[in-house]
Amino acid sequence: MKKPMMALAAVAASALFLSGCAATDTTEEATTAATQSTSTSTDTAASVSLLESVQAAGVVRCGTRDALPGFAVLDDSGEHVGFDSDFCKAIAAAVLGDATAVEMVDLETADRFTALQNGSIDVLVRNTTWTATRDGSEAATFLQPNFYDGQGMMVAANSGYSSVSQMKGAIICVSKGTTTEGNAALESSRLGLNWEVRSFDDTDLILEAFIAGQCDGWSSDVSQLTGFRSAYPEGAAALAILPEVFSKEPLAPAVLDGDTAWAQAVNWAILATIQAEEFGITSANVDQIASSTQDVSILRFLGQEIESSDGSAVLDPSLGLPTDFAYQVVKQVGNYGEIFARHLAPLGLERGVNALWTDGGILYAPPYR
Amino acid sequence: MGSLSSTSSRVPLWRDVRVLRWAFQLLVLAGVFAFIFWLYNNYQVNISKSQIQTDLTFLDNPASFTIPGNDFDQSQPVRDALVQGFLNTLRVAFVGILLATLLGTLVGIARLSGNFLLRAVATAYVEVVRNLPLLLLLTFMNLAVVLQTFPRIEDAWLPLDLFVISNRGLALPWFEGSGYVLLGVVVVALLAMWLTVKIRNAQADKNGKPAYGLRIGVLIAVVIIASGWLLLGFNWTLPFVEGRGTVGGLRLDPSFFALLVALVVYTSSHIAEIVRGSILAVPKGQGEAADAIALSSGQKMRLIILPQAFRVAMPALGNQYLNLIKNSSLGATISYFELTQVAQITVGNGSPAVPAFTLTLLVYLAISLVTSLVVNYFNRKLALVER
Amino acid sequence: MIVWLKRNMFRSVGDSIISVVVAALAGWVVWQLLQFVFITGRWEIIQVNLKLLLVGRFPEELMWMLGTSILALSFWIGAVASSSKRDPDKKTSLIKTGFGLLSRFGLIIALGAIIIALAGTLDAVLLGIGTVAAIALGRLVGLARRRIAVLAKIPWLIWQILLVALPLVMIVQTLLVSDLSEWGGFLINVYIAILSIALAFPLGVFLALGRRSSLPIVRLVCTSYIELVRGAPLFVLLLLAGVALEFFIPSEIAPGAIFRAVTVFTMFTAAYLAEIIRGGLQSISKGQTEAGKALGLSTVKIIFLITLPQALRNVIPAQIGQFISLFKDTTLAGAALSMLELLKIGEAITKQDDYLGQGLVYESLGFVALLFWVGSYVMSRESQRLERKLGVGIR
Repeated sequence: MKKPMMALAAVAASALFLSGCAATDTTEEATTAATQSTSTSTDTAASVSLLESVQAAGVVRCGTRDALPGFAVLDDSGEHVGFDSDFCKAIAAAVLGDATAVEMVDLETADRFTALQNGSIDVLVRNTTWTATRDGSEAATFLQPNFYDGQGMMVAANSGYSSVSQMKGAIICVSKGTTTEGNAALESSRLGLNWEVRSFDDTDLILEAFIAGQCDGWSSDVSQLTGFRSAYPEGAAALAILPEVFSKEPLAPAVLDGDTAWAQAVNWAILATIQAEEFGITSANVDQIASSTQDVSILRFLGQEIESSDGSAVLDPSLGLPTDFAYQVVKQVGNYGEIFARHLAPLGLERGVNALWTDGGILYAPPYR
Repeated sequence: MGSLSSTSSRVPLWRDVRVLRWAFQLLVLAGVFAFIFWLYNNYQVNISKSQIQTDLTFLDNPASFTIPGNDFDQSQPVRDALVQGFLNTLRVAFVGILLATLLGTLVGIARLSGNFLLRAVATAYVEVVRNLPLLLLLTFMNLAVVLQTFPRIEDAWLPLDLFVISNRGLALPWFEGSGYVLLGVVVVALLAMWLTVKIRNAQADKNGKPAYGLRIGVLIAVVIIASGWLLLGFNWTLPFVEGRGTVGGLRLDPSFFALLVALVVYTSSHIAEIVRGSILAVPKGQGEAADAIALSSGQKMRLIILPQAFRVAMPALGNQYLNLIKNSSLGATISYFELTQVAQITVGNGSPAVPAFTLTLLVYLAISLVTSLVVNYFNRKLALVER
Repeated sequence: MIVWLKRNMFRSVGDSIISVVVAALAGWVVWQLLQFVFITGRWEIIQVNLKLLLVGRFPEELMWMLGTSILALSFWIGAVASSSKRDPDKKTSLIKTGFGLLSRFGLIIALGAIIIALAGTLDAVLLGIGTVAAIALGRLVGLARRRIAVLAKIPWLIWQILLVALPLVMIVQTLLVSDLSEWGGFLINVYIAILSIALAFPLGVFLALGRRSSLPIVRLVCTSYIELVRGAPLFVLLLLAGVALEFFIPSEIAPGAIFRAVTVFTMFTAAYLAEIIRGGLQSISKGQTEAGKALGLSTVKIIFLITLPQALRNVIPAQIGQFISLFKDTTLAGAALSMLELLKIGEAITKQDDYLGQGLVYESLGFVALLFWVGSYVMSRESQRLERKLGVGIR
């Protein structure tokens, strides 16, 4: 009596499971099929550049997050918007010619390098600081930083703190598994402040603890703090960011070690946004400039034909990217200044060191020739 | 027939039970090895692709983080951080097991009380708590109780001026000076008490007079602690609020408090059911015999029922203790710095994930093993000696 | 009444003190709870996020498939429940039956009513009515088989397959059409729990048999697996699976969070099920095996036809208990693998811009607790009922 029932249940369950697998793996099948078709011998997946497999799959898997105001948040329709999200789109625009061909993969802070190492993402654009240890032992290759940041301290405006050095014995809250933990610990021992550094799973929990008054200070990258300050429920004026910046935090996209072609392709997608701003090319005027300009370096940059004595030619630097990748990046996403103005300026962030080198900043793209 | 009888002395190989048994086992073994090899092979292939570290050298790297409520320095190696995490796990597990056993026993007895109200409340407690996920209780303790209900440190609750309760933790009155001295005195006192009970009971067995072993034992213990207090001069210190923190007393981290309460409440509901079942398993005659020799209901419970009930309950209790220890890993979700949290942090700071988490698992396995050995020891000690 | 009070609450001075204190305490808690539920609680956060809590980001346009699946399942449950054997001599009055059903399923009905009230849409009301109607219809179909001779001729197994076909097709269809990564909320807790227990069951049976096998190597392998898994905390296993599962499987498979969670829950539950089933096997007397041998059955046949069915039947309540704890443990997938299951969403909605910092944790976690509690409590009650029905421990 009971036995056939169980058999039935087992059949039903395995059917559920199989169909479940089928549903989860539909997006992956394309990728793996592509990987297999491009690999020549039996098991040389390692030697095939991600650049080829991404182009074959037609989608870039970009490691990101979903709740950092300004950098990556979900909008009403569940789409990722923000500074980092735009760079994900820029990479897709450069590699695939389509800024929407990107799959945003939300990652916890502590999991982000593992996701890169195990190949569940192609590129990590998630507010990640470039450090020597990460370059080395996390098997990550960092590229052109898209934001130069530094760690600071945020306190309640009525706390009476006006400098980090006044915060003796304070409770400092930070995100679990980030460089901020180490920096805070280091700063505490350097200044002899005896901080109690508490690490939280995600920034939401810190926010909760901070609102409840469990933390005296919230230490993180100044850009992040500015973002959270702007979204604070009691208004930005209730919080103050102290003037000290006690670390260098170049936030850079990262790819897995040992894949130069892919690293260079991603790098140039970032650099294109910087170069475009230097040229004064925006998403609004890119078409007009492309058709009217006589400037050879701009024509090269946008992948336009350059007239010369022996006919016309398009510069192809053999990056493995389409020759008009820069045009696509600027057209579909915008230049660095546009992206910054769209997402970070509204938070109250200044360009600062993130201005072009021609404006006193440190953003400097190598020549495209 | 004749041809058969000549071969019947030698069963063919494929029908010999002994051969078949070994063949089957070898097949299983080969299958298991093949599976493990398959896993290992995948691991090697995948690891070589992603070029990440697989050995334990990360244990010697500087940890570069600090641990709240601990003078652990950020320049100390990862190894030391994991040890501190391990100690914190033991701390919460030890206190948790004691309190959960106490509360669970009380609730279990209350579930069988003759008092209708008490029984109803105990039943409601067990049925509500047992059917909720532990993580939910823990999240509730952390977000709703500690963060939202406890006051800020500026307006901390000061019950009787003995405690300081705020969302930055609890502070209790505690002894001043070295905890080890206190611990030593308490251990000596307990030892003396245990010896007294043992000796008095042995005498009572001989001459048949009432022993009063426990009462005399407690008296002796109190005398020892009191004289230790006078001679060595350890004092109470009361906690008070200073600035944005507390000074004096024993400070309990808010996450420790939340984790402890969640573990104790959850485990006690399971222990209560075990205790109830074990009390019911004690033969009715035992209780009736106790009534017949006019023991009070308290004496009946303490001297007759509970000792026998715990004999039945011991294996199940041991399982609950193991569960509590393993469940303490959930402390990581509310940032209590126990082993799992430390492992997670060090992975986030650049230690390789697979070796670090595998090491963590092994440590839990070791704790489980030791605990079950201890439980088994007591189980044997308590077991009825059958002659 | 007074006699009852005296006998049950005020037998002695100590008893009276306890009664008064407990009454005051319980009264206070109940009063606070009532006040919270009906007056101070701000339930609009649940109303607004109801869909998120129940099904996560499940696509709106496919919701009808979920609804249909629920209806088909209800029909099936109705049909199967009515086809179970009943004592024909026992005539129970309609009121008594109704009361019995209410005490068994009143909580579920109340929970359904609360959810419909919170949703406040016509669709929800229709689904509620539809579910009741589907159960009734299923019951009618089940009764019809007993009354109508043509239907009764259909073999039992085929009849069962016919009944289960509709819900199964609906569920599989839903799985195929929707993207599983968009499933969330309570739906994903239930899905993971059911899938994991179904996969863990055969594994658990083989582990249990292996542990009791007379073959030393088989026994060693099974025992070490069971003890290793039981000594490890589920949370750390999930964390490990979150970062390391892909290292141990071919790189062609890209595991999502659900795959990881189901793998770990299956491995974990199988070890515990194995111990439960082993207990069941131990409770079967040796005579059963010997009788099987006397009939000349092979060892395999003895196990699968004689001892195992009895053993499994004896430990059905314990297996349900294991399912309940698995059901509760699915919350860990949220914490360890960032899966958007019910508890995780319950936490997250209090941080939405509209509700941040307003102290609505009580409301959101309260709702989450209600769903888990009703689910677990009803299941454990049913398992106790089954235990009595099976007479385990009495015979």
